Amino acid sequence: MRRGAPRGTLRGLLRSHKPQLRLAAGGDLLVHLNFLMFLHRLAEEARTNAFENKSKTIKPEHTIAAAKVILKRSRG
Amino acid sequence: MDGVRARRESRRSLRRSLGDRPRSGSGSGRVVVAAAARRALLRQQPAAFPDVDNDTPRALLRRVIRNQPQVSPLAPPIADHKETEDAPSEPSSRRTSSMVELQLPDIVPEDTSISTFRMTRSRKKLSISEFERAADKRLPQNQAHSTLDSTLARSLRMSLGSVLAPDTVEKRGLLRRPKNRKAIDIAAFEGGVEQNMQRKAQNYLVELQTASMIEAATATSDAEIMLNNTELFVQPQSVEQNQKKLPALEPRLSESKTPVQRSEISNATQEEGRLVGRVSSVGTDEGRTRRYSEEELINDGEHVDNMAHVSQETSVNDGEDEQGHSQQSEPVEQLSASAEVAGTINRWSSSLPSRSSSRSPVILKPRRSFSMSLREVVSRIIEELDVSDKEEEMANAVNEVEQEEISREAMEHHTNTGYSEHLEKKLTERAESQIIMTPEEEVVAEGSVKHQDSAKPEPEMARSARAGSLSRHSHAFSSEKSGTKPLEEAVEQADELLEDRAVMGQLDGPEEESTEDEVEMEGQESEEGSMKTPTFVRAPAYRPLPLLPTPRSAKPAAPESPLQPQRAKPVPKTSRKSQKKQREPALASSYIKQIFRHYAKMPVARDAYQIIEKCCEKYFKQLSDDLEVYAHHAGRKTVEMADLELLMRRQRLVTDKMPLHVLIERYLPMEYRKLLIPVAVSGNKVIPSKSMWSSGKW
Repeated sequence: MRRGAPRGTLRGLLRSHKPQLRLAAGGDLLVHLNFLMFLHRLAEEARTNAFENKSKTIKPEHTIAAAKVILKRSRG
Repeated sequence: MDGVRARRESRRSLRRSLGDRPRSGSGSGRVVVAAAARRALLRQQPAAFPDVDNDTPRALLRRVIRNQPQVSPLAPPIADHKETEDAPSEPSSRRTSSMVELQLPDIVPEDTSISTFRMTRSRKKLSISEFERAADKRLPQNQAHSTLDSTLARSLRMSLGSVLAPDTVEKRGLLRRPKNRKAIDIAAFEGGVEQNMQRKAQNYLVELQTASMIEAATATSDAEIMLNNTELFVQPQSVEQNQKKLPALEPRLSESKTPVQRSEISNATQEEGRLVGRVSSVGTDEGRTRRYSEEELINDGEHVDNMAHVSQETSVNDGEDEQGHSQQSEPVEQLSASAEVAGTINRWSSSLPSRSSSRSPVILKPRRSFSMSLREVVSRIIEELDVSDKEEEMANAVNEVEQEEISREAMEHHTNTGYSEHLEKKLTERAESQIIMTPEEEVVAEGSVKHQDSAKPEPEMARSARAGSLSRHSHAFSSEKSGTKPLEEAVEQADELLEDRAVMGQLDGPEEESTEDEVEMEGQESEEGSMKTPTFVRAPAYRPLPLLPTPRSAKPAAPESPLQPQRAKPVPKTSRKSQKKQREPALASSYIKQIFRHYAKMPVARDAYQIIEKCCEKYFKQLSDDLEVYAHHAGRKTVEMADLELLMRRQRLVTDKMPLHVLIERYLPMEYRKLLIPVAVSGNKVIPSKSMWSSGKW
């Protein structure tokens, strides 16, 4: 990750979804952390799917199947 | 004769001697006197035994009677003493030994007579008569013994004061009361206890029944159900009452309906009545509502089949349904008039009379197999209401219906949980705005939508029930629907509130099977170029149909159409959200790409990034909803670190083995770690400093 965490973007994103909701000082960093971990899990799952299909690249189908699982798991 | 005279003389002498010392009152004196009397008797022993007139038992009795009144209550010992001594003085010398015996026992009863003075007082006269009877009985047997016994018994009786027959006198005097008491206590107590138990149980049941009846009389049926549910043990009764009341509703409403749809309408009214009950019970505990909702789910399951049958009928006979639906709408409106939720339904039903979806009943059928929730049944009812009007743009109708469903679901969720009612108003506003916008959408996507929709119903009809439902969703997604996004947010909120619904588990299975079918539909949808983000985002709104199928449907379409037009499209949809959505897509796709590539460690197809993009948006939506819930649960309006940690814990990212700090160190760059994890440095300094000005709590 060469870039820094898009803190402003994250705050804007959260505000767009929930305008009435505020975020603590370091909250967006943890949000970013959560987001990174989510992408990490997504990538791992997609990679596993690609391996199962004996494919060298990650295809959209793999990501779809991965998204299914990971989004459900990250519902909280 | 001489002996008799001698004895008389001895008695007289004894009397005199006794009379000389009647007042002595001392036992020793008596003993002396008795000894003297004994000696006198002994001397006169050779004299004749009883005199015929005086010494016979009859004479004895006479003497006793005469002597009786001499006994003064004030000096019982003296009187007894006199009597006892007089009695033995008369008999012959044979009585000398008996005299001693008499006297000895006389002394004893004399002592006791004092203690039993009160008892003897009232019963003396009676005892005499009884004593006479007893004495008469005994006399023929043995004169001496009888007299002795009589005297003894008399003395004893006198002392004891018993009134009853000689045999039982003593016993009764001692044991009378306890005997009676015991009898009463044992038998009566047990009987009383049992009676009390029975009475208590009866009263209890009676009270319950009366309370329930009273409640039934006063409140509405569904409100009663809620009230009845407050008592845990009343649950079976309440269920019965529910069932009773629901049929009560049915006849009322079925009068104005066509026979075709009577069952359907009755079910619908029941469910709407339940809705009313729900609305009335907003203030009650959530646990109660959940219990009630569970009962409703059970009841809904019963109605689901009915609805399915009815829907088949409606699909077949659309022309007939029009009238029926119009009639149906009236009672529906009647019921809903009283409730906020119902009011919104009215609005929808009234505002969308023209919407028809002949496919909707078909599509609803498969859906019914999934859902056990009331909201879907009600949504179906309203959709079938729409069936009355024919053949509009199917996509729009479906879209509207789905919007209604979502909003209805959200509404129902809110009523169930008593959560933010303002969200309902939001939804209604959005629904109205969407209704306004949909005509615009129609113009935009008419041609493509119609074309696809016409193609779609055919495969849907041919498919299995489950696949058909999913394809319907895909249809809705394929056609516009940007305005649903605000609805979805609220719905997602509501859905997340109801995570413990068991419906989810049921629905996951069937939905996964239908994914294959959806792939075909997705190919058709990709041609459209309509909004994918709203459809994709809308997926989580359908809790019964979890997110998984919808992203699949949206994702293959997503890579084909560029991201930017997708984002641009929602702008005109809703007035409020459009402006915000312009800001929202600021998350750089290249950034996401970079991160994903780093984590995947494999070449990633370009199309996959579109899916990932959608995924991220969905994820952020989920995240914001979760954080809002957590903050609200904590009574805060600001999301704190604790909320985020809780979120990560629930996502199983943070566990007991994996603390948050470790994750921070692992994933975040150094500068962020410094901000998040307080580090102590020398000089009593902590970084980041938690001074007053930095934290906003003070």
